Amino acid sequence: MSTVMKIENLEAKIGDKHILKGLNLELEAGKVHAIMGPNGAGKSTLSKTIVGHYDVEITGGDITYKGKSIVDMDAEERALEGIFLSFQHPVEIPGVNNAYFLRTALNAKLKHQGKEELNAAEFLRAMKKHLEMLGMKSDMISRSLNEGFSGGEKKRNEILQMLILEPEVIILDEIDSGLDIDALRQVSEGINKMKDGKRTFLVITHYSRILDYIEPDYIHVLKDGKVIKTAGSELVPYLEEHGYDGIKED
Amino acid sequence: MNLNTLKNKNLAEVTKLLNSKDREALVERFVALGLPSKKSEEYHYFNVEKLLDKEYKTLNYMPKTLEVSERIEIVDGVVVAAPKGMRVYSEACKQIDMDHFDPLYYLGHLLSPQTIKIELDGDTHVEIEHKYTQSDALINYRIVLYNQANRHSTVYENFINEKIENTLVMYGFDMHIAQDSTLRLVKLHSMQKCGYSLIASHKINVAKNANALYKSFDLGSDQALQLLKVELDEYAHVDAGHLLYLNDDSKRGTVSQIVHRGEHSTSKQEAKNILDGAARGIFDALIRVEHSAKFTKAEQNSKSILLHDDAYMASKPQLEIYIDELEASHGSTTGQLDKKQLFYLQSRGITYVEARKMLVIAFANTLIEQVKDARHQERIKNAFEEIFYAGQKG
Repeated sequence: MSTVMKIENLEAKIGDKHILKGLNLELEAGKVHAIMGPNGAGKSTLSKTIVGHYDVEITGGDITYKGKSIVDMDAEERALEGIFLSFQHPVEIPGVNNAYFLRTALNAKLKHQGKEELNAAEFLRAMKKHLEMLGMKSDMISRSLNEGFSGGEKKRNEILQMLILEPEVIILDEIDSGLDIDALRQVSEGINKMKDGKRTFLVITHYSRILDYIEPDYIHVLKDGKVIKTAGSELVPYLEEHGYDGIKED
Repeated sequence: MNLNTLKNKNLAEVTKLLNSKDREALVERFVALGLPSKKSEEYHYFNVEKLLDKEYKTLNYMPKTLEVSERIEIVDGVVVAAPKGMRVYSEACKQIDMDHFDPLYYLGHLLSPQTIKIELDGDTHVEIEHKYTQSDALINYRIVLYNQANRHSTVYENFINEKIENTLVMYGFDMHIAQDSTLRLVKLHSMQKCGYSLIASHKINVAKNANALYKSFDLGSDQALQLLKVELDEYAHVDAGHLLYLNDDSKRGTVSQIVHRGEHSTSKQEAKNILDGAARGIFDALIRVEHSAKFTKAEQNSKSILLHDDAYMASKPQLEIYIDELEASHGSTTGQLDKKQLFYLQSRGITYVEARKMLVIAFANTLIEQVKDARHQERIKNAFEEIFYAGQKG
């Protein structure tokens, strides 16, 4: 097994509240990992910790990505190295044009990789196919970033960023929340398009619905700040029947 | 000349000092208001005393033969060039507001009895470029701007910076916006350690059914204050927007009075202030609705972002209302850049500096995008970016 990210004995707090309490998790390269768990288990804190959110203070343990510790890296460095979080609640930024934002982010990545940056025309050409696939209206990229977007549009815009930036580790935090069936299908299509056996997914979810569309290789159950069980996708029906209380720690 | 010698002087003394025997009414107003000090409400946040208490050389404002240029060029208070056919000439100001709140409005008129008069013919766009080349000087000039009834004009005002030191510039417009006409004035004043301080004292008369648009973009460092009085006749409208983006230990801003005199007159005033370093921003703005101004609408808002712990915003939106039949609102908020927004951008690989710039520009954009001319809008955006990066270098 080739490990792309390893989380060891991770302890983290937000404010005075200790949320992650010695969490261990290994992400196998090219696989889809689903993190499931009850409310307050620490799922979103885990995603925030991996991407370097300002709310989170790491009090112990380590996160290594491709063999290198990332806990002292800034959020933008982690992003440039290939770690991407699709936010549960993407913020609205009035006045920042979506296309300008997307191009700035893409060019930052290209520059980091030593590649040539795209001009506006090249960028728009590159965007077109993604917009069509996600069922996004072309005017969405000329609007302010996420401003006035519906829940579904915001999630589509997150997937659009993922498609453009081509990250290596993709964290999807409650990507299915607020999506109707059609939007869920389109968003899943975008995610599945990125499944090429090289990229790694960490799908954080309450419900198994999204897992009908994105088939996971591993299910990790998170409870009280720790991963208490890791299994294959056969765990999903068991969880549906017995709930999280029915899971015994490995 | 040291302007501080005019402090606490009576009518006769000021008349003698300024050699203005035939302008008693103006001297009277100046003496009544007194030379500004930190006790003066309108100059309270501006450290005006230091500027006035200096020995400045005075200049001769001899009118010159005008060269033909694409724009009106004013160098050290004298017009040196103007577009072909444009009526620009020197003339005593015939309509001075005898109820202006700013003593330096009167001092400006007393020091410069001859004004630069610009007549805007027809529907026109004109650029005015100010340039200051003299160090240790008091540069004082006034501009009278007229447009014609039923016409729509736009004036773009710009400032060219030369390396000078210790100069005080006092200038201002007396604008007369004729009935059923529109006059838009877009001012871009970008300065970064330019060696001069500036006090601009304006008066804008907006006649019946006329529109005034005054958009000011004050960027950078140093010390500059614009004092603006607007009077609205019936069905007249003013749309004032002020963008302030400051760094270092600058002190800049707007002190204004919008006076609704006519029925159904409307005003909208919006200030956006972004302050970095130890900058101090000023927005001290009064909207007064007089007894005669029934059925008016007045809207005033100031929003500020402080980018540094040492930055300070003095924001004082005020309404003074003498009638019941009106709609009026005002408000003021001060905050910091939204951490969530900043993080979102950084989480996509955008550096902290770039993310900060994007958010700062986003905040300012609602005002910048009100400038419809693409070239001038671009010029403002470029000046904004230049000042942003100058601020990052400290």
